[in-house]
Amino acid sequence: MRELRYREAIREAMIEEMERDANVFLMGEEVGHYQGAYKVSEGLLTRFGEQRVIDTPIAEAGFAGVGIGAAMTGLRPIVEFMTWNFSFVAFDQIISSAAKVAQMSGGRVPCPIVFRGPNGAAKQVASQHSHSVDPFYTNIPGLWIAMPATPRDAKGLLKAAIRENNPVLFLEGETLYNVKGEVLDEDADEVIPFGKARIAREGDGCTIVAWGRPYYTAMEAAEILAKEHGLQCEIVDPRTLRPLDVDAMVDSVKKTNRCVVVHEHWPYGGPGAEIVDQIQRHAFDWLDAPIERVAALDVPMPYASNLETLVLPTVERVVEAVKKVAYL
Amino acid sequence: MAKIIGLPKLSPTMEEGTLVEWAKKEGDAIEVDDLLAEVETDKATMEFRSFDKGVLLKILAPAGETLAADTPVAIIGEAGEDISALLEQAKGGAKAPAAEPAKEAAPAKAEPAAAPAAASAAPSAAPAAAASESPAPDGRKMASPLVRRLAREEGVDLAEVGGSGPHGRIVKRDLEAFVAGGGSKQSPAAPVSGLSSGPGYERLPARVEKASQMRKTIARRLVESKQTVPHFYLTIDLDASPMIAAREQMNALLKDEKVSFNDLVIKATAVALRRLPEVNASWMDGEIHFHQVVDVSVAVAVADGLVTPVVRDADRKGVLAISREVKELAEKARTKKLKPEEMMNGTFSVSNLGMYGIEEFGAVINPPEGAILAVGALRDDVGVVNGQVAAVKRMKVTMSCDHRVVDGALGARWLAEFKKLLENPMGMLL
Amino acid sequence: MASGIDELRQQYRKMLEIRRFEEEAARAYAMGKIGGFLHLYIGQEAIAVGVASALVKGDYVFQTYRDHGIAIALGMTANAGMAELFGKDTGCSRGLGGSMHFFDPDNGFYGGWGIVGGHVALAAGAAFKSKYANDGQVTVCFFGEGATNIGGFHEGLSLAGLWKLPIVFICENNQYAMGTPMSRTTPLEDLTLKAQGYGMHGDRFEGHDVTVVKDRVKTAVDRARRGEGPTFIEIQTYRFRGHSMSDPAKYRSRQELEERKKKDPCAVARQRLADAGVKEAELLGIEGEIDDLIAACVKHADEAPPATEEAMWDSVYVPTSAVPADRLPRGVVRVEDGDA
Repeated sequence: MRELRYREAIREAMIEEMERDANVFLMGEEVGHYQGAYKVSEGLLTRFGEQRVIDTPIAEAGFAGVGIGAAMTGLRPIVEFMTWNFSFVAFDQIISSAAKVAQMSGGRVPCPIVFRGPNGAAKQVASQHSHSVDPFYTNIPGLWIAMPATPRDAKGLLKAAIRENNPVLFLEGETLYNVKGEVLDEDADEVIPFGKARIAREGDGCTIVAWGRPYYTAMEAAEILAKEHGLQCEIVDPRTLRPLDVDAMVDSVKKTNRCVVVHEHWPYGGPGAEIVDQIQRHAFDWLDAPIERVAALDVPMPYASNLETLVLPTVERVVEAVKKVAYL
Repeated sequence: MAKIIGLPKLSPTMEEGTLVEWAKKEGDAIEVDDLLAEVETDKATMEFRSFDKGVLLKILAPAGETLAADTPVAIIGEAGEDISALLEQAKGGAKAPAAEPAKEAAPAKAEPAAAPAAASAAPSAAPAAAASESPAPDGRKMASPLVRRLAREEGVDLAEVGGSGPHGRIVKRDLEAFVAGGGSKQSPAAPVSGLSSGPGYERLPARVEKASQMRKTIARRLVESKQTVPHFYLTIDLDASPMIAAREQMNALLKDEKVSFNDLVIKATAVALRRLPEVNASWMDGEIHFHQVVDVSVAVAVADGLVTPVVRDADRKGVLAISREVKELAEKARTKKLKPEEMMNGTFSVSNLGMYGIEEFGAVINPPEGAILAVGALRDDVGVVNGQVAAVKRMKVTMSCDHRVVDGALGARWLAEFKKLLENPMGMLL
Repeated sequence: MASGIDELRQQYRKMLEIRRFEEEAARAYAMGKIGGFLHLYIGQEAIAVGVASALVKGDYVFQTYRDHGIAIALGMTANAGMAELFGKDTGCSRGLGGSMHFFDPDNGFYGGWGIVGGHVALAAGAAFKSKYANDGQVTVCFFGEGATNIGGFHEGLSLAGLWKLPIVFICENNQYAMGTPMSRTTPLEDLTLKAQGYGMHGDRFEGHDVTVVKDRVKTAVDRARRGEGPTFIEIQTYRFRGHSMSDPAKYRSRQELEERKKKDPCAVARQRLADAGVKEAELLGIEGEIDDLIAACVKHADEAPPATEEAMWDSVYVPTSAVPADRLPRGVVRVEDGDA
């Protein structure tokens, strides 16, 4: 095992898959000569050349569409959005083209494409650049959505995504890029399946479901709850939101009898609400308390640092939610 | 005036940066916006330009070093300035004064850790408050889905289980306590308190025993009473001789059984409540409930605590009937056979510690009852009987009143009535 | 390759197949056998057939929702087309796409797309693939003049021009964006001016003569195949029917329509064949064969099994390698690793 940063893990996954399959290429704004807006694609241009590491103009709808067309006709594009906020101008391509072509062609035209880039709030980049887009895209059948929290998951899931024949939306995090974590050696070629949650921490006191950046918030809250209240939380990171590992969450809740869902997206709907719905239906007779959610506050992201901290899920809010469902 | 220059934060997410190359050397003159160095951040190699004008007096961090944002990297000032103090300060790792005041933390530790400290500082009040919330307005018994399933599986009637969750919701621990108690315990488990034994008692560690469910219930209910019910106390001293005489007369009429002083006290209590019904009342959520029945709770000590079985309609029962009922209830209490409904919904309590020689005491009200009467021991005294000084028996009783329901004057009038009844037992027959 | 009169004979047959196919589709729509939108191509057949004649096997074509003509011109059977319109399992998209979403990848037809301008970049993507793989294939992308005002069109052309992709953009200018004449949607008369800004070649002509269409388009296709970049072609045409079946086309005069019908591409081709000496009897023979073919496709569509729930679930995702067997959503099939 080595320690890698999240961005290095993603880079490694791209390198390995590009070396494995000549049909894989990377396309996006500043991915080549600039070495990546967040240095994820650093060094790729030198390694693979301009044919496979393609800088685009600022035209998300255009290059997202080009990627989809190339995928329909045999290539395996990795399309990078500088951030997922910019995917909105390519929304139609993702929703109406990528997610639909298999169905519209009666299952005959595949679309093996990966859209990837940082999702969610960074630091004080304000309302237009702080979206958690997971609720928008998880609603769409025909797409898979991955949102890894750790470097190891990021690498393994991205490798699976690149090899997959259906469109995958890969949601990274600007504030995760520097996070270090253990990753298997390169020759391990670890490919992590979609739809399999990771039990990041075992416990019988309360299930916490968290993904992306809030995963770390939940882990910290769990340590506090263990120390201050002797309550052992079980942390379930679904890793992919579509498909969603309902079984893992339900199994955990059957053990703990209570659940808190922590997410960065807004409280109205989204995977947070979907998870609550699945659990209440499949584990109704095991619930000892209503399921709580810790979400971003229901406002556009403010710029001021103190307010940004207020809006995002905090350790305190997670601790309070767990205490509430555990009747502490 | 020389100053320490810190490594600037060159991107919103930058936590550290690598000094790739210094563009100036010590002694160079610096203009505002001059390139000082190149810094590699998490995003790109950025230009580190000067905000200050002067001379680069000292480079504190050589090229190649990776440093946290704000780390002192240089001193800029006027040529020939003494910078020894600044050098000391920089060595001490002090932040450059010009740097941004608030350093942003890594995502994993971005959240301040204020909550845990607060949580451990005091036993959390919230659960107690939650547990005391009123039940659902429609009177429905609420239970978590888990509890409903377990109750189904174990054949437990949830009507018999008390709930400690919000709005009286029966939660898992309530059912577990109920089942562990042989299914006979009506009272809900007390919420787990945040209290833990403090440090400093290790020399002779206490024997720690898990509190029984009854203990927990007593603890919870009495804490609730003393914290939420405004108690006040009225004591009256009465001549017990007529009561003693009356008891002797009654017992002379009985064959194998006897009535006790306490039975007479209960009877007098009941009659006094009928005569002054304003005292037979409860404060409930902003309303005063005047009870139409007189149900007297009688405190009975048992092995691990006390219970308060209820003598129903005590005002309409004779002393013998009361006596028999109290004996039966006490026996059931000792053998743990009291049913929950036999302990519920009293309207007034009587607690008697006279048999232990306690002269007088103040009892804690048993909510939602409006008052409790604490009965002390019979004691010898000297009094005037028929114009002669004689030995007499006297007894003190103390009434604890819920001031929300019973004011001082009302309590005093009731005690006077009670005294009159015991000093003239014939009056109870009227 | 057929040439001269032989080729024209085949082209006439194809144009007639499209014409008769759509006439019967309109009839079936009126009878309630076809639902949703039905956008007819009647009057524009020379373009579809002319373009198809200029392409070779392996080339890619992307079209808007007015897609029956090009699909048939490229080789889709009338049976597969009509069954799709009838919402049947034997339809080209198993009854899941309908009129707007014909697909026939085996014949190079990559769809019938319903969002105006949305498919332009997709076509550029197919051309990108040809450049990436250096496979010598060319992509043709059709759209109407109305699409030249939307962002998707411009981003697609911008990238195709920037990267010199092997693609031919064909604007079928039928004068009306639904009900709005071009004079009210764009300040230009010559639409190739829009493409000039993206550094590509332009061409512009009337599209009622299939031979002219084929020749002019072939020039652009050959240029693309040589690696000399994309071409934008504006072909002026006219649809004889409304925008869709629910459009009474009141925005244009009867007289205008009659004037245009004098340039009916089917009639023009027929006259050319007659002028070249093809006997009336032979022409009638061709027309009879087409009538039989279309009658048979309607019968097939009528009798074919309805679209299935199975197909509905199966086609949301193609077989997946990323999701393990015990987590597959309904209808999704597992394949081992990639490119299977």
